[in-house]
Amino acid sequence: MRKKLGLGTLESRIHIFFILMLFAAIFIMQLVFFRFATTTVKRSKIENNRTLLRQLVSQIDSYIMGIDIISQKIVDDDRIQQYLETHINLDSLEKIEERLYYYMEARSDISNILIYANDGRSILGDPESKINPWTDIKESSWYNGALSENGQTSVSTAYVQNIFLGKYSWVVSLSREILSKKSGESLGVLLVDLKFNRIEELCRSLVIGEKGYDFIIDSSGAYVFHPSQQLVNSNLRKEPIYNIQKLINNTSSINYFQNNDRYFMVETSDLTNWNIVSVTHNNDIITDWKNVQVIYTLIGLVLFLIVGPVTKRISSGITEPIRKLQNIMKTVESGEFKLIGSIKATDEIRKLAYDYDIMVGRIRELMESNSREHELKRKSDLKALQAQINPHFLYNTLDSIIWMGEMGQNKEVVRMTSALSKLFRISISKGHEIITIRDEIAHVKSYLTIQEMRYQDRFRYLIDIDPDLLDLPILKITLQPIVENAIYHGIKEGNEAGFIKITSSIQEDFVLLKVEDNGIGMSQTDLKSLISGVNMIPGNSLRMSKQGMGLRNVHQRIKLYFGKQYGLTFESSPGKGSIITASIPRIKKEYNV
Amino acid sequence: MRSLYFFLLSLMASLVLFMIFSFFYGRRPPKALNLDSPIQIVLKSRKGRAMNFWEIVYQGIDEASMEFGVQVEITGPGYEKQINQQITILNRVIEKNPPLIILASTDYKRLSKPVKRAHDRNIPILLIDSGVDSNIPLSFIGTNNIDAGKKAGREMKRLITLSNRKDIAIVSHIKETTSAIDREVGARYSLKDESIIGTWYCDVEEDKAYRIVLGLLKNKDLGGIVALNEVVALGVARAISEQHAQDRVAFVAFDNAIPELTYLEEGIIKATVVQRPYNMGYLAVKTAVEYLRGEKIVSNIDTGSVLITKENMFKREFQEMLFPFSYQMP
Repeated sequence: MRKKLGLGTLESRIHIFFILMLFAAIFIMQLVFFRFATTTVKRSKIENNRTLLRQLVSQIDSYIMGIDIISQKIVDDDRIQQYLETHINLDSLEKIEERLYYYMEARSDISNILIYANDGRSILGDPESKINPWTDIKESSWYNGALSENGQTSVSTAYVQNIFLGKYSWVVSLSREILSKKSGESLGVLLVDLKFNRIEELCRSLVIGEKGYDFIIDSSGAYVFHPSQQLVNSNLRKEPIYNIQKLINNTSSINYFQNNDRYFMVETSDLTNWNIVSVTHNNDIITDWKNVQVIYTLIGLVLFLIVGPVTKRISSGITEPIRKLQNIMKTVESGEFKLIGSIKATDEIRKLAYDYDIMVGRIRELMESNSREHELKRKSDLKALQAQINPHFLYNTLDSIIWMGEMGQNKEVVRMTSALSKLFRISISKGHEIITIRDEIAHVKSYLTIQEMRYQDRFRYLIDIDPDLLDLPILKITLQPIVENAIYHGIKEGNEAGFIKITSSIQEDFVLLKVEDNGIGMSQTDLKSLISGVNMIPGNSLRMSKQGMGLRNVHQRIKLYFGKQYGLTFESSPGKGSIITASIPRIKKEYNV
Repeated sequence: MRSLYFFLLSLMASLVLFMIFSFFYGRRPPKALNLDSPIQIVLKSRKGRAMNFWEIVYQGIDEASMEFGVQVEITGPGYEKQINQQITILNRVIEKNPPLIILASTDYKRLSKPVKRAHDRNIPILLIDSGVDSNIPLSFIGTNNIDAGKKAGREMKRLITLSNRKDIAIVSHIKETTSAIDREVGARYSLKDESIIGTWYCDVEEDKAYRIVLGLLKNKDLGGIVALNEVVALGVARAISEQHAQDRVAFVAFDNAIPELTYLEEGIIKATVVQRPYNMGYLAVKTAVEYLRGEKIVSNIDTGSVLITKENMFKREFQEMLFPFSYQMP
């Protein structure tokens, strides 16, 4: 499962790690970017809005101021002053009415003008309007407002003007007390009713975005103007008046607030005490929001597409040399100690490979020296074995000599003794392991002489060696055990006269020394067990016959000294005798150990 | 390795998803409503010749249709009493297969048949102001007229107890329209202990109301008149004004036509029950839009009513109700 997913490998872990990091980075960047972008844009837009809002406030103020100037002119008008002071002057009344009508005509935003004298006389700007007989002017708020301002203009909130008969208009009133220029006495009150068309125009002209709008509330929170006045009046739409009032009273640096997806800003006009509220829709603040999103998404995707494969490259760049190392190291399992050598990788990996190589070199050395020591040990083991056989043969021979001496066979005693002497001299041969074939033949000849005498012509022998080979090296005591084997296990058991023939031949680089006998031979199973016994490593628990021990000793010594391709080969069939061939290398020079 | 790429792909997908989500996060603009044809509105009387009440209903309809970006087509008979003409108009409107019909029914019973026809053609119907004898319409948007009638009745009861003339007459605008029926029921409920001498119908003709009242004023025991809509109210007020009967006859009216308000200031009308026609028009279109968008709508929207007297008419909250804000006001 783990392997199938491929999540366990270093490469995929690095890869996944990179991808996750990248993902997190993009995610965080996006968040930060948007937070940053939106706040920056928002702030600048809001500052912008504030400028516009201030502009709007000053425009409304200057508008109201303009009307105020008109009212000032009316109040200061000599004819009007005179008319109000003298109580009766019908002649000038007509002129005054004309004058007021002129202002009405000039200003389409003036709903009506009224001069209300303290004695109850009134002059109307609109000649078609009449004073509503059922209302008491002295109780209306604009009248009292004007009186409290002491000659200054009082600006009302929005309300329904009910002093004109049959007309109920929503207006904003400017009213001021008319003071006598001469005496400073109060003469009456001037009322100028304003329609909303100019205020509406102003409010609609300075608006942010598609969904933005401005509205005006008075200090009590009542609407002076709202573009959807009917809706707010009918409570079908609600503005967060409470929050706006809180914002007005707030002196801290926070100068706007957010309600759902709208931003509210407020500026108060000192002239009118109106609070002009600017509403901006979120969508209008960041208009190209979606474009920014699209671009950002694309950037993110492109980054992913680029960095995805790149991280794969990086991770495989790290892991590829490691995998190579791993493959080479794996050969150790099969016993092969390969060196890595030079490798294209990072310093760490190269160092690792270098150290590995050193380690493998050490191991190789150790193994070699180990196997050398092992060989030496085996050789000495074999020497010990070889030495074991000799005393046995020696006392048999000495017995024979003693016996022959007693019989007075001096000649035979001499012959056997000299043969024995020769045998030992060669087998010692100054401690050398390698001797010439000539010496080896002499050795085997001495041996055969002794045996021939002991067994009293039970066998004959023939040695036929190529004279060219006589000087070639051979491991000492190679042939003797073979011959011994032929005598004890071939001829001694047989009834006929035995015959041993030692011949030589050359086959390519091999020198073959063949020992033939005409003894009883071996069955196939015996032959097989002999061959397998001979090849057995000494010290193995399998028991060997003495016959086998001698042959095995020879066989393994040859292999140890000359190599695996050399050794003994066996041919035999029951009743026909055996042929044992020793193969040794054909080396010209004397072999030194 | 393939599964790793699967993982990578899913990461990318989630990134894309996140971005798409953030697109719409916090910004769910209401679905724009694309209609093949305008919403049909059949009112009681046609624009241009309407009473003040219907003029304000139009304003509400206009505001809503602008706000929600839907097209509306307003039709209706010349006069409220022309029930047959309204049926003909409604049938013609049904032929146009509009997405929705808003109906102000002139007759409780007779309009139920064309309403059924519209229903058979899968045209949804909303009612404003007056009901229809059918449970097909999805919603009724209007004044709770029984409630409004009760308010008028209660005020009349208060006034009649101050008077020594105890007879009360009810002048209704039309016989079979629910607004008239319900208001009368409400008024009679509040006045159940008083002597109501009868109900007169003026067929939504001011003149007829005027003549009826001229006749009624001959009754020396008449102490109160209740007029059930503004047309009736104007006729009644004219009669009382001409006969200078305002001191002996207490008059409670409905609605807030400008002349009515002058009569109220004058003291001829003692009190009037004011509805909110603007809200009616606005909410009718709003509800229609909500329904067409597939949102849930409620079956009854009470736009409310208020009793106005001379004393409270210029109070802030009432002046906003009585005098619809309009820049073109005279």
